[in-house]
Amino acid sequence: MYDRFLHKPISRRGMMKSTGAALALGLSPAAAMRIEAMAQEASPSADIAGTSLKILQWSHFVPAYDVWFDAFAQAWGEANDVDVTVDHINTADIPATIAAELSAGEGHDLVEHISSLAQYETSMLDMSDIVAESTNRHGEQLAMTAANTFNPTTGKFYAYCHGYAPDPGNYRKSLWENAGIPDGPNTWAELLEGGASIRSEQGVQLGIGMSNEIDSRMAAQTLLWAYGGSIQDENENVVINSPENVEAVAYMAELFRSSMTEEVFSWNAASNNQLMIAGQASYILNSISAYRTVQDVQPEVADDIFFKTPLEGPAGPDFAKAHGHAVMMYQIPNYSPNTDTAREFLLYLQDNYGEAIVQSKYYNFSAYPSNLPELLEDGGLLDNDEFGSNPPDKLSTLKSANEWTTNLGWPGPANAAMGEIFNLPIIPNMMARAATGLQTPEEAVAQAEEEVTEIFDRWRSEGLIGGGS
Amino acid sequence: MSALTSPSTGETLTWSDDDFEPDGRYLLDNSRLLGPIMLMPAVIYIIGLVGVPFALAIAYAFSDVTVGDQSIDWVGLRNFRDVWGNDTFQRALRNSFMFAIVSQVIVIILANMLAMVLSANFHGKRIVRFLVLLPWTTPIALAVIGWLWTLDNVYSPIDAALRELGLLGPGTMFGPGKNMLWLAKPDLAQLSVLTVHVWRTLPLATVILLAGLAAIPQDVKDAADVDGASFWRQFFYIRVPLLIPIMTVAILYGIVFTFTDMTVVYILTRGGPIDNTQVLASWAFFTGVEASNLAHGAAIALFLFPLLVVVALIMLRVAKRAETV
Repeated sequence: MYDRFLHKPISRRGMMKSTGAALALGLSPAAAMRIEAMAQEASPSADIAGTSLKILQWSHFVPAYDVWFDAFAQAWGEANDVDVTVDHINTADIPATIAAELSAGEGHDLVEHISSLAQYETSMLDMSDIVAESTNRHGEQLAMTAANTFNPTTGKFYAYCHGYAPDPGNYRKSLWENAGIPDGPNTWAELLEGGASIRSEQGVQLGIGMSNEIDSRMAAQTLLWAYGGSIQDENENVVINSPENVEAVAYMAELFRSSMTEEVFSWNAASNNQLMIAGQASYILNSISAYRTVQDVQPEVADDIFFKTPLEGPAGPDFAKAHGHAVMMYQIPNYSPNTDTAREFLLYLQDNYGEAIVQSKYYNFSAYPSNLPELLEDGGLLDNDEFGSNPPDKLSTLKSANEWTTNLGWPGPANAAMGEIFNLPIIPNMMARAATGLQTPEEAVAQAEEEVTEIFDRWRSEGLIGGGS
Repeated sequence: MSALTSPSTGETLTWSDDDFEPDGRYLLDNSRLLGPIMLMPAVIYIIGLVGVPFALAIAYAFSDVTVGDQSIDWVGLRNFRDVWGNDTFQRALRNSFMFAIVSQVIVIILANMLAMVLSANFHGKRIVRFLVLLPWTTPIALAVIGWLWTLDNVYSPIDAALRELGLLGPGTMFGPGKNMLWLAKPDLAQLSVLTVHVWRTLPLATVILLAGLAAIPQDVKDAADVDGASFWRQFFYIRVPLLIPIMTVAILYGIVFTFTDMTVVYILTRGGPIDNTQVLASWAFFTGVEASNLAHGAAIALFLFPLLVVVALIMLRVAKRAETV
């Protein structure tokens, strides 16, 4: 099946080199040969020979992707006489590292994070030309990935999104079968009913975090949307203090009391994965990365994990949405002396994104679906998971991910205010204060409104976001 | 002019003060030059790594600077007003004082006990001293990661031990849950942060007090023994008064380390649950660096300054008193 990437014959020297790289990096020889073939096909439109490219990016949740990416970038560098360096760090440390490099005025030429960092816009290059070129080559970009990287107030693409990871519900089928809901919950009401039953009768909680970490923030947004609420409207006005949001917060309090323990207040990004792997969670919101890890170490547990589309709430199916679990976007800092090289590399990555999707074991979805149409087709890759899912069509749920995944700050754009809010515990704390009875849902939402409004006002005065009229 | 006559030869040696003054051939022989040169590295270090960042923090705190836009535009006291009005800040301020004061009260009590034990003679004393000092020598980030695992919600070995002892689980003293959830319940999370602060600052305080104990003249102790003074009398009327100056140093060091630390909170709880362990240093970092609002982060950090000035002044006074004794 990988033959689709082999468009060009590979030289004997290239083949030897590829095999050596495969052995050294832990890649399969076939994967290394494809990397070599892709590198030989690269045809940069700018003269980048003799330059260098330093890339800072998150340590991918599917480690095999990093192994592949490093070899992919190195091969491209060698083929184009570019000195490439790739540094991977924990995703939680990325914003601080970028902040330090921007303050120093030097550092990496390309920086990648898994959520929008619109608040860095002023220090980043406009990437409209790369988006235009990729659109020219691969067709329309997903509206969600564009909204995660484009500022309508300034008309600038402050980042380039190459792909994202869907954020479905993960559930333990055996537990839900015992609760009389064998195919898992479809609605937030069913989650409450089944979650409470599983907790009281089987002693297993469900796990939706309410702490200072990225999964908790995404889960909170999903719940607000399902109730018809949001933090901002489409015109970037703060609308968090709404009856819909109060109702959503009240629901979370009830869900916590009936189905969870205090441990959700102390979680980090890995905690819900650990809980599900340990058999101590009936339902979590997460990408498929934890599942991929479990497949290797505890296949019997993996066989019991299944996936659901976002839960439907009172607002109906159109509002059953999920934030992209990891919305992978690169930015080029203004200080970079290698902007042409960075641009060429991003275009090259997008050109070969089909392979990136496969190497990430279908964790990555492309911002340009034409990169690998077989992924989402009926009878395609997700319907027959070659990485050992049992049953093989377990990941079919993700085929509709492009429809239900939306951007940070929806229905508005992922602006600087939302970027700041998304890096603070404001929204999870709003949920947690109500869940613990520290405040009523109305009081919790009102406090969050104060904090959110101050942030929106400040960024509006900087001229980086709209609304306010 | 001075002179000295040799008793064996009768030869007289004479010299004047000029013989020891610099003759200008070597620049470093000039004491006026040598002093500033020797001091220069320390001055450069302090200006570069303390003075400049401090001046920058003040400039940031009165501006609208962000990570993305580092142009400094004056906004007056707006940042301080915004920060002061934030509930999380208020909690962080209270927690900073609480962690610093409570941990150091516990540390000074335990350090006195440990210092007395370690000043006695017993088998294995060196090993015990080594073990007591170990937390101080461990890099703080690594140590806190160790604590993070020890206090884990699911896999905590403390919880496992409590379950084995029949103290945790349904129908037990700490039950009914299978885990204590050390970092998830507000009171236990605060206790956890306090414990780690005590654990890591106790060795330094103990060593300082050990040195103080060793400096108490033996004849004073002997006189008290001869007079038949009890342990507690000797402790409160001799040891404590004589140890107070050095105890002050230990407490002040402990307060500075605890009050300015963000590593423990950042790694252990990230300020949670629901900001219950948030401190000024961690909140400044989350706001200023992670959320990119450098101006607010700087304003929050500057609230550390008044307390640190007071501590510094007390330390200088203690040092001056020690010089005059």
